[in-house]
Amino acid sequence: MSATPIRPAAPRRRSRVLRPEARTGLLFVLPCLLLFLAFRFGPAVAGAALSFTDYPLGADPTWAGLKNFERLVNDPTFWQALKVTVVYTVLAVPASVLVSLGMAMLTRRTSAMTRLYRSVFFLPVVTSLVLAGVVFTWVFSEGGPWSRAMGAIGLPGGSWLADSVLVLPALVIVSVWSRFGYGMLILIARLQDMPVELEEAAMTDGAGPWQRFRHIVLPHLRPALFFVAIIETTVSFQVFDTVYVMTGGGPVRSSYTLVYALFDQGFRYFDLGYASAIGVALFVMTMVVAVIQRLTLGRES
Amino acid sequence: MRLRQGVAAVAIALTASLAAACGGSDAAGDKQTVTMWIYPVIADETAHKAYWSEAVSGFQAANPNIDVKVEVFPWANRDQALATAIAGGKAPDVVYLIPDQLPKYANSIEPADSYLDAAAKADYRPNVVKSVTIDGKMMGAPILTSALALVCNKKVFDAVGQTAYPSTWDEMLAMAPAFKAKGYDMTAYFGDVKNSLNTSFYPLLWQAGGDVFSSDGKSVAFDGDGGKKALGFLKQLVDGGYVDKSLLTTQPPLEQTRLAQNKVACIWNYTPQDVEKFWGKDNIKVLPPLKQATSMQYGTVGSLVMFKSAKNKAAAGKWISYATAPDQAKKYDTKSGFFAAKSSVGALYATDPVLGELEKYVGTTTVGPLHVKARDVMGVLAPEIQAALLGKKSVDQALADAAKAAKPLLG
Repeated sequence: MSATPIRPAAPRRRSRVLRPEARTGLLFVLPCLLLFLAFRFGPAVAGAALSFTDYPLGADPTWAGLKNFERLVNDPTFWQALKVTVVYTVLAVPASVLVSLGMAMLTRRTSAMTRLYRSVFFLPVVTSLVLAGVVFTWVFSEGGPWSRAMGAIGLPGGSWLADSVLVLPALVIVSVWSRFGYGMLILIARLQDMPVELEEAAMTDGAGPWQRFRHIVLPHLRPALFFVAIIETTVSFQVFDTVYVMTGGGPVRSSYTLVYALFDQGFRYFDLGYASAIGVALFVMTMVVAVIQRLTLGRES
Repeated sequence: MRLRQGVAAVAIALTASLAAACGGSDAAGDKQTVTMWIYPVIADETAHKAYWSEAVSGFQAANPNIDVKVEVFPWANRDQALATAIAGGKAPDVVYLIPDQLPKYANSIEPADSYLDAAAKADYRPNVVKSVTIDGKMMGAPILTSALALVCNKKVFDAVGQTAYPSTWDEMLAMAPAFKAKGYDMTAYFGDVKNSLNTSFYPLLWQAGGDVFSSDGKSVAFDGDGGKKALGFLKQLVDGGYVDKSLLTTQPPLEQTRLAQNKVACIWNYTPQDVEKFWGKDNIKVLPPLKQATSMQYGTVGSLVMFKSAKNKAAAGKWISYATAPDQAKKYDTKSGFFAAKSSVGALYATDPVLGELEKYVGTTTVGPLHVKARDVMGVLAPEIQAALLGKKSVDQALADAAKAAKPLLG
């Protein structure tokens, strides 16, 4: 951000025309804004509008008022999906943040080796989640590496994907594996902003590594940690790829998340109005959580 | 000045790009195009494509101003791809559908009366016509029929020393422990919710004398005695350890299952062609469908269907009539290992021990419920079946919960 030049004290007039720099800036942003409106904002509004219609395949949408939402509130499958999504998020977000933090602390010193490690740790982020899902289905399967390892150390050794309690932890593991590199890089960037003298001073004062971490590193990292938490929460609410590839919502709907319910209603049963209503519910939920997190973050900064 | 020029330049650029994107090529020439989507009916992709290019050249020789484009798509997720295409206005003119799918797409389908002449219609077997008729109108032109029965692996029976093959549920349960003792599964139940219940659970339901819907279609009937017996039978197989438990919830590729590894004795949801490459043709034994109250199985009818959105309906109709004509359909059926839909074609596999045997059962199969909410009901029933088989609910409770969940769907 450029600093504004210091002006001599003069009566401030409300300028009707924007400064040239501002206008050019707006022009540069205009194509991106138009694309955003056309492909993000527009479809979102259209989806919300569809949720008030009855829209079976091949027919035109007809106005249905709040019928879809009434059905939603009374649908046990929707509440099951909501419960599963919330449980999944509660498991996935802390796990992801903790793993990102741990890996960031381990690779914070810049050297050739840590740079290599950082690239390797970032690879899962750019790997297709569908591909990861296919491979992890085998990993978690009955005779796969994970099941055998779990059996060897005495934990349940069957396929975690076939167990209605362990299926969500299995999906969380895949999600954390896929996303920790992203959080790790954000935290490393924030860590490198921290002046080295602070920690050195603490060391000369006799503070141990855990105390240094708790009282110096952690407070400095707080804004970045909250940012990672918000991103992870939003992404976790929308989990779909792994569920679709690995479990199909099962066993017995124990991994049936909201977006999977949306997909089911829209593309298996062709009830596009009802699917849109689920989408609106998901949007409202994400907004509420984002506002809560923003208020928490607002207090911090 | 510079700014106004800049704004003008951007505006012109955006308008030009929009115009280029919107202006589709509308070649209003003499050539009419017909697009068709088909799925791997002939499993071998090369052979399948070769069949259609031959059929298309034959058709185009007789109709030089009609251009036919055939695209082969995989079976998996075909409903989603088709639904997206219809919603987006990019549906093909002609598509291959089975009766299961017809009620859902009924709004978009052009009935077959407009392009099938009376002689062609009369040539179809009566149960075939019934299976593609909705509201008294034939929805498509059937091109093939298929049947499921009971397919057993002779190699497994020989390894266990079993010479008799099961014909009823009780016989299967009686011989199952002998297979289990030698490390084989008596059968396999593919309980992944993505699978259609038509081939996995409903055959048992029909064999027990039950049905999915009541005769008026206004309520479900699977929670009656037939359903309880069928689910109870499955539960006995699962509890006894006669089936692979991991298949109850997930579906790995067929080649990774015990079925492909020659560890399963009999199955009722796959055709001989599906298992031929794993078992070897000599080991395939085709038997009548299992009997409880009655002997019944699932058999489908594949039809070519025209969508209302087709631009050149007359041309598409000519193509469908050509592709489903007796001699053309006969070639397709023999190449793919399926059976004929028309009476004039007759039996195709009199000399083939495997397919000839299966062909006998074409008349004792049903295409499943032709109800507009059939798939929705499957969606609420399949997880409850999983719950019962995994021991989380009793059989009666699972079926009652499924019926309760199905009630609001039927209105």
